[in-house]
This record gives sequence, C-alpha cells and structure tokens, in this order.
Amino acid sequence: MRFKALMACLGAVASAFAAGQATGQTLSQADEAKLYEAARKEGQIVWYEAAPIEPMQELVNRFSKKYPGIEVQLLRITGPQQYQRFMQETEAGQHIADLLLLSDQPLTRDLAERGHLAKWRVPTHDRVPEPFRIGEFAYAPYTTDIAIVYNTNKVSEEEAKILASSWKGVLDPRFKGRFAIVKRKCGSCYAPIHMFLDEKFKAEYGEPFLRAVAAQKPLIYSDNPIALDRIVAGERDFVFWLWEAIAVTKWQQGAPIRWVRPTPTPEWGNSWQAVSAHAPHPNAARLMQNWLMSEEGAIALQAAYGSSTVLTGVQDSRPVTKEPWHKPIAQRYDMDWDRWEKNYESDMTLWQKIQDTSR
Amino acid sequence: MMTQVAVERRPATGMTAPRITGETVLWLVLAVFITVVTIVPLLYTIDSAFYQETPFGLSPRRSLTAIVNVYTSARYLSYLGAALLLAGIVTTIALAMGILMAFLVARTDIRGGRALDIVIIMPLFLSPFTGLIAWIVLGSENTGFVNALLGAGAARLGFDLGPVINIWSYAGIVWVMSLFFTPFAYLFTVNNLRAMDSSLEEAARMNGATPLQAIMKVTVPIMTPAFFAAGLLIFVLSAEVYTIPGIIGSTTGFTTLPWQIYIDSTVAPLHRAHAAAAGTVMLWITVGGVIIQRRITRVAERFVTVGGKGQRAKPIALGRWRAPALAFVLAYGFCAVLLPLVALLVFSLMKYSSVSFSADLFTTKHYVDLFSIGNTRLALQNTLMLGLLSGAVCMVAGTLISYMEMRRKTVLASIVAFIGVLPVAVPGLVYGIGLLWTYLRTPIYGTVWILLLAYIAKFIPYAIVVSRSGILQINRELEESARMSGASSLTALRRITMPILKPTLAAIFFFVMLMSIKELSASVLLASQRGPVLSVLTWSYMESGNFQFAAAVGVVQSMIMVALVVITRLAFRVNLEKALAKG
Repeated sequence: MRFKALMACLGAVASAFAAGQATGQTLSQADEAKLYEAARKEGQIVWYEAAPIEPMQELVNRFSKKYPGIEVQLLRITGPQQYQRFMQETEAGQHIADLLLLSDQPLTRDLAERGHLAKWRVPTHDRVPEPFRIGEFAYAPYTTDIAIVYNTNKVSEEEAKILASSWKGVLDPRFKGRFAIVKRKCGSCYAPIHMFLDEKFKAEYGEPFLRAVAAQKPLIYSDNPIALDRIVAGERDFVFWLWEAIAVTKWQQGAPIRWVRPTPTPEWGNSWQAVSAHAPHPNAARLMQNWLMSEEGAIALQAAYGSSTVLTGVQDSRPVTKEPWHKPIAQRYDMDWDRWEKNYESDMTLWQKIQDTSR
Repeated sequence: MMTQVAVERRPATGMTAPRITGETVLWLVLAVFITVVTIVPLLYTIDSAFYQETPFGLSPRRSLTAIVNVYTSARYLSYLGAALLLAGIVTTIALAMGILMAFLVARTDIRGGRALDIVIIMPLFLSPFTGLIAWIVLGSENTGFVNALLGAGAARLGFDLGPVINIWSYAGIVWVMSLFFTPFAYLFTVNNLRAMDSSLEEAARMNGATPLQAIMKVTVPIMTPAFFAAGLLIFVLSAEVYTIPGIIGSTTGFTTLPWQIYIDSTVAPLHRAHAAAAGTVMLWITVGGVIIQRRITRVAERFVTVGGKGQRAKPIALGRWRAPALAFVLAYGFCAVLLPLVALLVFSLMKYSSVSFSADLFTTKHYVDLFSIGNTRLALQNTLMLGLLSGAVCMVAGTLISYMEMRRKTVLASIVAFIGVLPVAVPGLVYGIGLLWTYLRTPIYGTVWILLLAYIAKFIPYAIVVSRSGILQINRELEESARMSGASSLTALRRITMPILKPTLAAIFFFVMLMSIKELSASVLLASQRGPVLSVLTWSYMESGNFQFAAAVGVVQSMIMVALVVITRLAFRVNLEKALAKG
C-alpha cells in the first residue's frame, strides 16, 4: 500500500515536472518526444472550438494518427458563448477545456490579460506574422479574408469583373435586388464595416456607401451559412460578403460558386488558438498546439478547412488557388484592434439600422 | 345506459394536515427534488437580470438597467408585441385546424377513422427546427422544390407561372409554425370530443337547432376548458420558438422577443441581463395563463360526470362533405408530414443545395459520416437514453405531484404543483443559463446528466398538467374503497389509480420523450463534449453551413422517435395516438 502511494506521489511529481517544463517558454526539437510521452500519459485533450465541426474533426483525425494514445474531444461553441462558458467554468473551478479556438481577437486578448491563457511559445513562433499572434498566448492558425461569393449560373463573367473591380461594384444598377446581405453581429460581419468606416476610407466609402448598398434592395439573411446555402441554391445571385474559407468548402463539394476579393481586402486572424492556463491535460494541449501551428498542421488545415495558413514559408496548396479565376489578395487591409473594440457595437448597430431601411 | 348528471361537488373546505405515511415521505422527497430542479435555476435566471453588463458578459455589480430597458423601451416592447401577435395568430390557426380535424375524426362519419389519428399526430415526430429546414428547401421563392416543380409543369404547358409560394415571408413563418402546432390542438381535444355525451346536443337538435347551432351552443361551451388548455399550451410553446421567426423573419424585418433573447445571449456583444429580463416577461405571461387555466379547470371540476359512460353519439353524417373533409385531413398530412420528410430525405442525400437534379449531385456520405463519426454515435446513444429517462422520471414525478394536489388538497401540494409548471414559461435559452449556473459547481456539470435534469425541469410541467386531467377523470371512491379495505395509500395508488391511469401515464411518457429528443435551446448551452445530443448536433452542422448533414441528422432523429414509439407501443400495448389523446 505504502509502495503504491509512494509510486503515485512519484508519478504526480514527474507529471508536475513535465507540466512545469511545458509551461516554460520554448520547446526544443529534442523535447518533443518527452512532451509526447507526458501527453500520452494524460491521454486526453478537450478542445473548445468555434470553427465548423467537420474540418476540425479531420484535423483531430490527422493529429491522432500522428500521436496515437491521445483522445481529442471536440466541442463546438461559437465566439462569445465559448468565452462565457470558459470564463464561468474557470471561475467555478471547473477546468475542462485544454485548448481553445476562439473566434474573436478582443475576447482572446481579454482572456490572456486575465491570466487564463498559458504562455506557450510554439516552435514556429517566428514564422507567424505579428498581426496573427497575441504575444506568446495565442496564435491565429489561418487567415480570414472577405470575399463576394457568387453563383456562376447567375452572374456572368463580365458582371463578376464589375464586382471584383471595387467594393463599389455592387452599386451597379444591374445588381439591384439580385444579391443578399447578412444581418448578424460577428467578426467577419464587422471587418468590412470596420474598413468602410475607417477615417482614411471615409471619403470613398463611409456611411453613404453603406446606405447606397441598402438602397440596392438586397435580401437580408439572418446568418452567413444560410446566405451561402441560398446563393449555392441560386435563390439570390451573390452575397455581399462572406469569408473565403466558408466558400471553399462548398466549392470543393462541386457547388457552382466562385468569389472575388476587391481591393483592399480585409484579411485578419479571426480565430485564435490558445492553451488554457488551467488545462487539465497541459502537455497534451501543448503538443496539439505545436502540431496545429506546425508546417504539417498548416497543410492539414489548408486541406481540411480551405483557409490559407498564416505560417510563412508554407505554400498555399489549396486546389482552388490553381483555378484561373482565383486571384490572390492584392492589398491587405489590417484591423485596428483598439478601434475595433471601441466601435464594434456602435458601428454594427448603425449598419443594422441602415439594413432595415432597405426593405 | 346511465344518464349523465351534472352535480355540483362541494368545494374542499380548509386545510388538512398530512399524515406521515409512506406516501407522504415519497411525495416530500419528490417535492424537494422538483422544487430544487425547477426553482433554483429559475431563481438564477431571474437573478441574472439584475446585473450590469460588460461586452463579454455580466459584471459583478448590480443594476436595474436591463430590467428597465426591457420593460419600458419601445424596442423590446415591440419585440414582445411581435412575439405575442405571432403566437396569437399561430394559436388561432392551429386551434382551428386541430379542433376541426378532431371534430371530424371524433364526431363525424369521415372515412379513415382511427388511422387518421396517426396522420394528424405525425408532425410531432419532426422537430419544428428540422421542419424549417425542410420548408426552406420546399418553399424558397426561386429555388424551392415546390416552385421549381410547379414552374417546370407550367413551362411544359407553355406558360410562365412564377413563384407560387415564398417561405421567406411572414406568411411563411405562420405556415410552418401552424403546421407543427396543429397536432397539439388535436391531441388535447379529440378525446374530449369522443367522450362527450351527445344527449345534450341531440336535445338541442330535437328542439329545432341546426347541426351547426347545436355545435356552437352546446359542444363549444362544454369543450371550452379543453380548447383553452390546448390554446394555452400552443400559445406558450409558439411564443417561445426563436428559430423559425428568427431565421425567416430576418428577410421581412421581423424580430420577436425570443429571437432577441437568442441574439442577446449568444452574439457579441452579449446582453445576458437583457436576455434574462426578457425571459421574465415571458414568465409573467405564462403565469397569467396558468392561473386562468387553473380557474377554468376548477370550474370544470365542480361539474363532474358521475355514473358510467354517457351516450355515444351517432356520428354526424357529412353527406356530400365527406370527401372534402377527408381531403382536408389528408392535405394537412401531406403538407405537415409527407412533403417535409420527403424534402428532408432528398436534401440529406445532396452534396449541396440545388434544384438542378443530376446524378452526381447525390451522395450517401452524410449518412455514412453520421454513423461513423464517434461524436454522432455518442449523440445517438445519449439522445435515446435521455429521451427514455426524462420520459420515465417526468411520468412518475408529475403524476405523483398532481395526485397529491388533486387528492390531498393541501396548500403545500398546490404550491409544489404550481412551482412545477413555472419552467414552461421561460424560454429554453434563458432557462439554460439558470441551469448552467445551478450545476456549474457540482460534479454533474459537464456530464450528460445535466441534460437529464434540464429536460425534467423543462418538461415536468406537461407531466403535471396532463396527469391532472387524467386524475380528474378517476372517481376517488375507488381509492377510498381500497383504503377502507385496509390498503395503504401507496398500495391504493399503485393497485387502483396507476392501472386506471395507464393511458395517461403512457401519454406523458411518450410526450416528454418526444419533447426531450427535440429539445434544442437549453441543450445548446448545456451539452458538453462528453454528452452530445442529436438536436445540438443538427444545430451545429446547420450553423457550420452543412445543411445537408443537418437534414440527415433530422431524418435519423425522426426515425428514432417513430421507432421508440413503435417499440414502446408494443412493449406497453398502448396506442400512442390514443394515449396522447386520452392524456
């Protein structure tokens, strides 16, 4: 009995040591085997994530294949709900989540500032551009970029060129009543508004542009996936903005859609990957965080989810990039996160009020 | 044949102190359990309306801002008005359709008889949310299957028909909701219509009244309590629905209070205090409804039918209306069951949404995935288990609570029965937050069992209400005879009351099981990685943009409900349609 207790204590100490190592700032190549060993002993990861289930499950499958013996449990909870749930659980001492994929930069930053995210520098840290990381607390594994998605049976090539030429292309009289917009508050819903209301674009776009869009009498859907589904079906000809990855998934299934990304294109890290500071399986969480941000993880992510990785030096291997109609982003528009946090609600309320005038 | 006599029963006078018997102990345990399970989350829900909000949730500081905003601002009051108006319209249509069909089946010589029961209650096996997916596929203006098929047919005849229906409209919302709430009106009235003694109607006819006059002057007044109970249930349930008015309503500029509650509690910036405050508005409305219903029941209780069965009416001959009447019922079944199920099935076999059917559009991938992904298999198991367990627990607990309320008539029993029905009033999303807070610091948090408690709390009201009407129909003298012969109260309950109540018990079990399987709003907040359920999975896949997979889950969910009903029907030898109607 005493021997068993002693062994249990030694096991706990060893585990704590491994976890302690894991909470350190860097991990050398040589340490990976040790981390995997410690992770395997923990045997489990609970991953709260906000992205669509199927691609994330595909990533999990690939991770599990590389690192057998670690079961990854996935729970899809979108942005603010995930934040709320994680915070409530943390405050109640219910430490369940090991990894978070949270769809909002300010929310993730807030968690880091409150000390709920582990400081963990992934081996590829220096290959992640600065706008796509929050210190060493969180990384955006993939980019989110705004696109006008259209049904190829409904929009001619000439019309697609008009849409691609400028964000103002949508104001062409021929598009009146033919497109859809989305009435929803979310990061991807806000990013273009953030750009249109930017001081430096106010003369060109600003509130009058938004009013002109509404005057085109678009159909208003309650959420992005519904809008995309209806565009795929042909209910409306195009949707005045979604993000590329959501369209890639449908395109890969054979749906008759394409998209254009006028310049400048809002491109940012909308989803943030982080290790919980209270992770019950700290080593396993860190192992997966490393893998997700690795070259192998980035390629898997591109294949499964259809969004391009932020990791420099990794080729954009998505089949869609081989299509002649698919053009790379010419000029990226970066978010001003302070202004985002300050104006998000008022800007979105303004946009929704303008939307209401379109009916 | 015995004549039905209306007698006024003396109301119970004063309070009686409960004796400490096995029955009392059992009941006390149940009362404490139900009170804790329903009241604590309710209190948490109300409490969270009194906090300041931050962009990410609630601040620890108290505030009346949300309450004042929700109760006084034109914006929230207009959302409430929209929800009540919609619920009123849906209730009126569902009641009209349900009662008309109940009357046709119970009191006329319509062809089909009991088989029509099944046709009319079938929509219960489809969740309104799944039905919504089906009707988006069927009724979209330019790409709905119905418009596409009719358009193609018209084109062959050489003319352009244009869109015939458009689900993305206010009428579309009313259409979908009315279709799915009609079975409730039918179930809560058909058996009363069947059981109603026809002698009064016949007396009216003999005195020169036309059939319609006899119905309006005799049948309708007698049936008013049943109509009201059905109407109240439909009104409360339809006022709580957020998915259908929210998703379709966006295209028409229409927002209801439940949809705003959904937005406030899920979309950044969060307004959880506002969501909770709005939840309390719904609570007061239902409390009012429950009080009115109890008064009506009490009045009805004073006039009980004594003696044996009344005179069964000779079915009213429909004459030349016989065929149209059958066509009406079948048309309802076609729109509410056949069309949506076929649409869902076809849609679930597609790679993506389309009306240009071609061989390469179809795939069985979604079904293969459904049964091969570990998470969905677990969700299937959990859904089955939770449906069965919540059905069983609510059946036992709800019946005992009603029994004590009806038979023992103590103040405490009345209070517990009243408390037990309150959760029906609070929208699932808001109540889910209360449930989450209740169990957050307990070991059941993060397990599948939190969902079981949530379902018990959410559906015990139905068990109490339905069992109350069942117990009301049992003559208490039977139990009293058993007690006088030396049986304990528990024995009398077990040997006399329960067997007579068997159809009602089965009705509660079926009903709660079906509702639990379909429950979404509280499940979305409470489901964990260890306890996924099918309804949340459907929602997640739909939110992820994979409507076809969501449709596949919806089809499987409906099949499970049908299978459970068939299995239970064989095991208990009770017809669901009959049992539910009796309840």
